[in-house]
Amino acid sequence: MLKKRLIGIVLVKDGWAVQSFGYSKYLPLGKPECVIENLDRWGADEIMVLSIDRTRKKLGPDFQLLRSLGKLGLSTPLIYGGGIDSVQNGIDIVRSGADRISIDSMLVSDINQVASLAEQLGAQAVIASLPLAILNGNLNWFNYRNKQLMDFSEKLLAFMKEGIISEAFVTDYRHEGYPQSFDEDLIQEFPIKEIPLIAFGGLSDSGQISNILNRNQVSAIAIGNFLNYKEQSLQLYKESIIHHTLRPSIYKQSYSLLDYE
Amino acid sequence: MSRIQIGLVDYGMGNHASVVNCLKSLEFRCKISDEKTILSKSDLLLIPGVGAFPTAKSELHKRGLIEYLQHEAKLHKPIIGICLGMQLLAEASFEFGYTSGLAIIPGEIVPIKEPRWHIGWNTLEIAQEDPLFKESDGESFYFNHSFVYQGPREYQIGLTDSMKSFPAIIRRGKTVGLQFHPEKSQESGSKLMKRLIEGLCNA
Repeated sequence: MLKKRLIGIVLVKDGWAVQSFGYSKYLPLGKPECVIENLDRWGADEIMVLSIDRTRKKLGPDFQLLRSLGKLGLSTPLIYGGGIDSVQNGIDIVRSGADRISIDSMLVSDINQVASLAEQLGAQAVIASLPLAILNGNLNWFNYRNKQLMDFSEKLLAFMKEGIISEAFVTDYRHEGYPQSFDEDLIQEFPIKEIPLIAFGGLSDSGQISNILNRNQVSAIAIGNFLNYKEQSLQLYKESIIHHTLRPSIYKQSYSLLDYE
Repeated sequence: MSRIQIGLVDYGMGNHASVVNCLKSLEFRCKISDEKTILSKSDLLLIPGVGAFPTAKSELHKRGLIEYLQHEAKLHKPIIGICLGMQLLAEASFEFGYTSGLAIIPGEIVPIKEPRWHIGWNTLEIAQEDPLFKESDGESFYFNHSFVYQGPREYQIGLTDSMKSFPAIIRRGKTVGLQFHPEKSQESGSKLMKRLIEGLCNA
């Protein structure tokens, strides 16, 4: 049986891994490589690295970080997002070691390129990153570049329905970083029922996570800040989440105790 | 360091870094190349791959690797294809139209109908007696694909289940295809790779 996933999120800003609070306040955590290496060691089901300032600063994808991650020899699937503004960017990211890419601004600026990306990489490699909020009873998509709310474009809806995008990364951007605050209506009200969803933003409570994983459309939940407060927090989450299709915790022994006397 | 040398077939598609790191952590020697003379010096050929089938086939063709790989398979050189690399071993794929494959293992690559993708960790079920895979029965591996192998049962060594059962491992002689990514499957993937490479090279 295909298991539901627990994805470890690492947000990178100005080259540093950061904790984010509603994508408006940030606290530095350290080198992204260290945070990512921990998630790999803790047995995350996937690791998603989002370089959140690359598009705004027009820096393109962070290939230096990807090269650096390549040297770590991660044995966990890697998703990268940030600064992707061309098909070639997407291809180069996969060649640099990522397994999948998360598309954000391209969904607004030139959605036709997303179809070309799916043609080159396969739809399974393409994730749509959607910062969402329910306001006045309506589901709104937040364009973080101009800070405006907008509706889903017809083309985006069609791409999600037709399978040009394999998963939607639904971020509760207003509650991101704040414990136990994810708005489950974002899942309930999502307009396309055919696409699997990854839920992110304010998910810290095991009970709420279990409830969300019980929804058929949810294929994964993603946790960012809350993984940074304890050693082996990912395994602890897995042990506390009651869901029969979640892969069990893994405790990796990096060094054989037999080598030490 | 093992004496086994692996030739990683470089055809411009996918993610070599993860495969190389996995192989090196298992202490295998590894050369990445599209040069036949270099690849021929290896004990085993590994075809990685992330992407779409027609582009991959075209890239292999540009490098003159299609006939080479078919020839090496006929000589019983061990070959492992991973994900798209496994799909290329088949006779043809229906991804973005019809494209012929390496035709080393009979069968075709067809779209997954419901659901349309198979992304994430799934359990491997060994369907045929095969000492190389026996110990991986019931372990979880990472899959990321939207097309699957469809072909004679005799080549289907391992299966997985997502609404419908489909092949996760195919094998014909010393050619093996893995639909999942062992290099991204943490400890279960490393152990399978070690047993598989040593088993194929020492057979």
